[in-house]
Amino acid sequence: MKKNCYQLLDSKQLFTLLAVMLLSFASYAQSTVSGVVRSEGDNETIPGVSVLVKGTTRGTVTDLDGKFQVEAAAGEVLSISYIGYSTKEITVQGGQTQYDVALVSSMSDLSEVVVVGYGSQLKKEITGSVQTISGEDLADMPVSQLAQKLQGQLAGVQINQTTGRPGQGMNVRIRGQLSVSAGSSPLYVVDGFPITGDIASLNPDEIQDITILKDAASTSLYGSRAANGVVLITTKRGKAGQSSVSLNVYTGLQNVPHYNRLEMMDAVEFAQFKKEYYEDAGRDVPDMFQDPSQYVGQTQDWYDALLETAPITNYNLTINSNTEKMSTSVVAGYFDQEGVVLNTDYERFSLRINSDYTASDKVKIGFNLAPQYIRDNTPRTDGSRGTGILFNALHAWPNMPIYDDEGELTSFNRFPAETGNIFAYPNYVRSALEITNETKQTNLLSNAYVQYEPIEGLVVKSSINAEISDSKYFNFTPSTVTAGINIALPAVASSIRDHYNNFSWLNENTATYTKSINDHNFQLLGGFTNQKFRRERTRVAADTYADDRLPTIQGAININRGGTISDVQEWSLTSFLSRLTYNFQGKYLMTAAIRADGSSRFGAENRWGVFPSFSAGWVLSDEGFLNTSDKVSFAKIRGSYGVTGNNNIGNYTQYALVNNTQNHVFDNTVVPGAAITSLSNPFLGWETTKQFDIGFDLGLLDDRITFIYDFYSKNTSNLLYNVQIPQEAGFGSFTDNIGEIKFWGHEFSITSRNTEGRLVWTTNANISFNRNRVEALADGIDRVYGSYHITQVGQPFGQFYGLNKLGNYMNQADLDNSPQVPGRSTVGSIKLEDVNGDGIITQGGDNDDRTIIGNPFPDFTYGITNNLTYGKWDLSIIASGSQGNHLYMRHLYSTANLDGVFNMVAKATDRFRSPEDPGEGIFGTTVGGGNVTGIERDWANSNFVYDASFFSIKNITLGYNIGKIANVVKSARVYASVQNVYIFTPYWGGPNPEVSQDNGSGDGGNLSPGVDLTGYPIPRTFTVGANITF
Amino acid sequence: MKKINIFIVLLGIMTSSCEEFLTLTPETALSSATFYKTEADFEQAVNATYAPLRSIADDRSWLLSEMRSDNTIYARNINFGATEQQEDISDHALPDAQGITSNGHVLSQYRQDFLIIARANQILSVIDEVEFDETSKANLKGQALFLRGYAYYELARYFGGVPLHLTPVTTREEAALPVTPEEGIYNQLISDIQTSISLLPVRSNQGVGRASKGAAQMLLADVYITQKKWAEAESLLKAIVNSGEYELIANYEDVFSESVGNKNNIESLFEVQFLEGPEGMNGNFLYSFMPRPITPDELQPITGTSNTQGLDGEGNNIPTPDVIAAFEDGDKRMDASIAYVEIAGSDRDYKVYPYIKKFAKHHELNGNHGINWPIYRYAEVLLFLAESLNEQGKTTEAAALINEIRNRAGLDATAASSQAEMREAIFKERRVEFAFENKRWFDITRADRVQEIIGAFGQKALANPLDYYYPDGHTFRSNAFTNITKYYALPASEAEITPHF
Repeated sequence: MKKNCYQLLDSKQLFTLLAVMLLSFASYAQSTVSGVVRSEGDNETIPGVSVLVKGTTRGTVTDLDGKFQVEAAAGEVLSISYIGYSTKEITVQGGQTQYDVALVSSMSDLSEVVVVGYGSQLKKEITGSVQTISGEDLADMPVSQLAQKLQGQLAGVQINQTTGRPGQGMNVRIRGQLSVSAGSSPLYVVDGFPITGDIASLNPDEIQDITILKDAASTSLYGSRAANGVVLITTKRGKAGQSSVSLNVYTGLQNVPHYNRLEMMDAVEFAQFKKEYYEDAGRDVPDMFQDPSQYVGQTQDWYDALLETAPITNYNLTINSNTEKMSTSVVAGYFDQEGVVLNTDYERFSLRINSDYTASDKVKIGFNLAPQYIRDNTPRTDGSRGTGILFNALHAWPNMPIYDDEGELTSFNRFPAETGNIFAYPNYVRSALEITNETKQTNLLSNAYVQYEPIEGLVVKSSINAEISDSKYFNFTPSTVTAGINIALPAVASSIRDHYNNFSWLNENTATYTKSINDHNFQLLGGFTNQKFRRERTRVAADTYADDRLPTIQGAININRGGTISDVQEWSLTSFLSRLTYNFQGKYLMTAAIRADGSSRFGAENRWGVFPSFSAGWVLSDEGFLNTSDKVSFAKIRGSYGVTGNNNIGNYTQYALVNNTQNHVFDNTVVPGAAITSLSNPFLGWETTKQFDIGFDLGLLDDRITFIYDFYSKNTSNLLYNVQIPQEAGFGSFTDNIGEIKFWGHEFSITSRNTEGRLVWTTNANISFNRNRVEALADGIDRVYGSYHITQVGQPFGQFYGLNKLGNYMNQADLDNSPQVPGRSTVGSIKLEDVNGDGIITQGGDNDDRTIIGNPFPDFTYGITNNLTYGKWDLSIIASGSQGNHLYMRHLYSTANLDGVFNMVAKATDRFRSPEDPGEGIFGTTVGGGNVTGIERDWANSNFVYDASFFSIKNITLGYNIGKIANVVKSARVYASVQNVYIFTPYWGGPNPEVSQDNGSGDGGNLSPGVDLTGYPIPRTFTVGANITF
Repeated sequence: MKKINIFIVLLGIMTSSCEEFLTLTPETALSSATFYKTEADFEQAVNATYAPLRSIADDRSWLLSEMRSDNTIYARNINFGATEQQEDISDHALPDAQGITSNGHVLSQYRQDFLIIARANQILSVIDEVEFDETSKANLKGQALFLRGYAYYELARYFGGVPLHLTPVTTREEAALPVTPEEGIYNQLISDIQTSISLLPVRSNQGVGRASKGAAQMLLADVYITQKKWAEAESLLKAIVNSGEYELIANYEDVFSESVGNKNNIESLFEVQFLEGPEGMNGNFLYSFMPRPITPDELQPITGTSNTQGLDGEGNNIPTPDVIAAFEDGDKRMDASIAYVEIAGSDRDYKVYPYIKKFAKHHELNGNHGINWPIYRYAEVLLFLAESLNEQGKTTEAAALINEIRNRAGLDATAASSQAEMREAIFKERRVEFAFENKRWFDITRADRVQEIIGAFGQKALANPLDYYYPDGHTFRSNAFTNITKYYALPASEAEITPHF
């Protein structure tokens, strides 16, 4: 039998190992020391204080009464630390077992222990670029996803909510990282387990804290998956000491405010527009538009009809049960959000059980188990014309009835062709209500570990982690409705069932040796890991149902072969990792780390990637020349350099695949057909990012003000790229590692305790400047075009590209004296810039007049959070913003279609009508039909590009601390919160300036960022809540 | 310490030999390493080589050939936005510069032909290395060569010179080749088709619908006629006649495939196969040929479907007044080929439009029919033979053949007596006999009459836009009929990435 890594889990070897470790209880126990930790000023006991025996992994935290118990021998040093207090060290004296400790309040959180990759470090000693945020700080925000809570809170991390569909749409980009075709989402690591899904489904109330690793020194231990940054999530664990029960609950209502909605014509304006359309063209005005005033008060607002005020509710029950050897934390959650679009519902049942068992002072065992069930239903709200209900509703004619005379929803609407109506429309309210679009997910995330300390300072740890995710999607469109337009009713009823089953396991084995010799402190980490992922998918598409009430597969007359798929995707990853940290007197700091990843995704000739990093820091404030200063309480400079990878290159991209669905037919009989449809590349590998970071941390006035600055510069090369090849070859592309992008940026964060005393006012603010430039694409290729984007060497990625609008041709003389689109330009039509100066306007080809017309990337993004506490009251205000980015208002191709087919944006009332009545200049003449208006509508041009800078007040929460109630409730707090309070923006194309839809270009939005096709609006949410501890 | 040693040893065992763990081949797809090993593999590979023909017949050929000719035209629906790509082809207003055009239909035709070529190359490069039954191997090779020859012939007729790929591309560097002049393309395709004639069985011994010896002989005859190699064409065409495999069907209307029945009939030498239903093998070209906007009620009598839906947008491939006029009085083919429909939603005062009836066969579901597309039928063997005889001075023999065709159409014998008259008679006969079968454009190009015929047609159309389906007060774009060329320019998207053009 061949030995291989896969057999690792099947073999008895590991279990033998675990057994050996379990049985090896050490015989030489230390004595137990115990004590109470208090705050020096008010003499209150402090729960949750970390008590560590220095140089070992023994340690505990104080219970709710501030008490602790730990095993320590005489001469060992207890390090007692807590956020907001200076760390205290006490040497254990022989004979003394009781220690009462008073901690001195400090503004500095440098004594905080921060979770880093494969371990934890004192914040003071960190040499990379790392930011942490506590789950507690995020608790009050009434949203379902962690990423929503993090918006604006982290320097260098741009988080956009691209759609309001519950549970979806968060786009997280660390340090502007992007790629042509590999993903750009960070790696999420939950309790040490790099999960394969994203974190949208994670119950945020399970989270203890979050660490964002940004530079290569911090991330390189995650090797080929680290280039997009790493987010470490630590879930709540039981703390030694007393048991407790706490309940967090909030409930509220969501709605879509009226401000910032895209303003469309009302029925009168629309009828007036149509009337003018026919008059201007010299055609007869259809009867229904002869008298626009007949529609006064008759506007049918289809968009508004799809919206409703919807409830949101969240319950979380946390139980901490702690005994001397066993500590367990259970978080049970129920979250229910009905959407602001009709028939939207998102429901999550979640449970997490984290247990740690201290078998002896040498052996610790732990288990985490986190099952979840999520059910959601969302109408097909997002998407382009013809597929997205919201888009379609937005420009449905405002004189088209939503309800009939009996007050029933109409079913099908079509006006006579002579009115200029070329499409038939379903009733979109019905579409939202009657189409089922449901996903049910069952997830299980679990970890088990055993940790053994055979000799002092050496900790050996082995863990097994498993992630199971099962998702079932079901869509049924009955014959009575359609999501799209222009399909006669009754339509062909159709269903899609899509079932994904994912299973990923990870085995990690690490050894950490910590040693201090005099003032030299070392830690050496070594490890070996194996991970494997398998996804099985079955999709069945069926249509032509005899009965809408029975949408079973067998109830369909047709199985749609093209939409029916079964597929298996697998990858495996084997890694070796090591890190050495060293410091001298906690003052001169150094870390070196390396990971080697072997991956099934990489070509046979290029199987292993090695990812090293090095970083160093110098705590200046510990030097004599600075530590006398009473202004500067802390100062550290640090620098790092390292190499990381991005392995999101697809599972089988290296192989030439034979597609066996190239079937044909002879004499009415299908015959199987197969052909090679892709080229192989045995040298295919990861994308490589080399990153340099330099930064400094500053604490002023006893750390009342702390300041962090980072500059980074990174180069991503070997971009996974589908190099277009001439299709005379029979293939469209060759997947290769090619091209290079340079990224650089500055990040500033400041924390200031503005006032102290009875009113405590703290401000956290951050601002980030991220830039990128394409350095190279493939040989001979210096640009890649999208429909309205270009990615070009020497320019930033994904710039908006098209013709530059100068205005409209104001009169005949203007037309005669200006370059034109031959055969198409007329007086009043769009006037474009003749960029190449050849006297005519051309789109594409050799005489192209297209140019860069906008930038989807902001000049800078920023966030500001203010927390105020006054006695028992607390108030927090969270805001974030983005400056200088543009959006491509793609929906104008339909919402401002000058052919009068759809309802129009209200601004189009001021279009060009004649040289005497030229309008505002945004929209041109309607005369001439598609030959004329098609230029403005169908050619990408700057008329679509608008400033989408915004400043958004994300959340305001006001809380009141009731405190203790009788003997039952230990503490209680009530609060009221408003989420998504107000967005200040010049953008007029819709309510969400963070929108970005990739319009089906299939690149995940990488090459085509910043496209607004209208999407699910993000609601404003009003909630009241309570946190009660028993 | 002993326990630590055990750990280290175990770690060592675990880390050994990871290569197998890291080798994961796709479970749900075959790869090049596992395919092209058996007879069944090659059968599938050959089947896949036919597959692009469906897309070509359904979406492109009628656009690039028939609508480019004076037989059909693009009918503007002024309420709808510009879809200038089709319009540019129909109006001879294709933008081109330095022999390159951005037209997407030209691009698509080019790519589909090269897809056939690449698949054939893959087969031909390895089939001789694999041992299996020699008879089936010869048949499969013959089909692959036929298809490669056919695809190059399409390319040669549309573009003249193109890159010549004869072996499969395996690396990025091999993808782009220089343009081989037209003559070189013809030399290769003639050689391919000649070999396929020697390898392929006659129709009665071949799988239904597959390329047979007769189809290959006809393809080569077509090539020779284009090259004006009349004697070579004559001998191939006579071999087809003498094979006894084919005959004319008495009633012209019965010649054409229905959605399910009457496929690969006795008059058919080669046709593109479709299948109605959910398998994805269906066509919907009939819908492309409808004047628009058409309501379900107007469309239903034509398609006979149970779930008819209306069509918006622009009408394509609408018969011109010129082709209608080309039918002689009493020609039975007229009513079999063209019918009329009244479109209430038309912006024209006169709301009746002609449409192609030849292929308008009833089928079950909207947008999904199985009507086969004719490529070669026996009537063309006879008219080709007539043409090659006439060109060699055997005008009397030619008259007998053309009259066979005219008889079936209910027409009197041809009045043509001189060689020149007969040449013109055959040219006209072909126009009506094969109306809308994508023959007309190539008849014009091989006769070198592009400027003469299309130039005159364009002038007439520009002068009478109402006759060419424009509503009152509307006319062609100002660049219509300004770029009348025999060949299409090469596609821009390919030009951008090949260093050779």
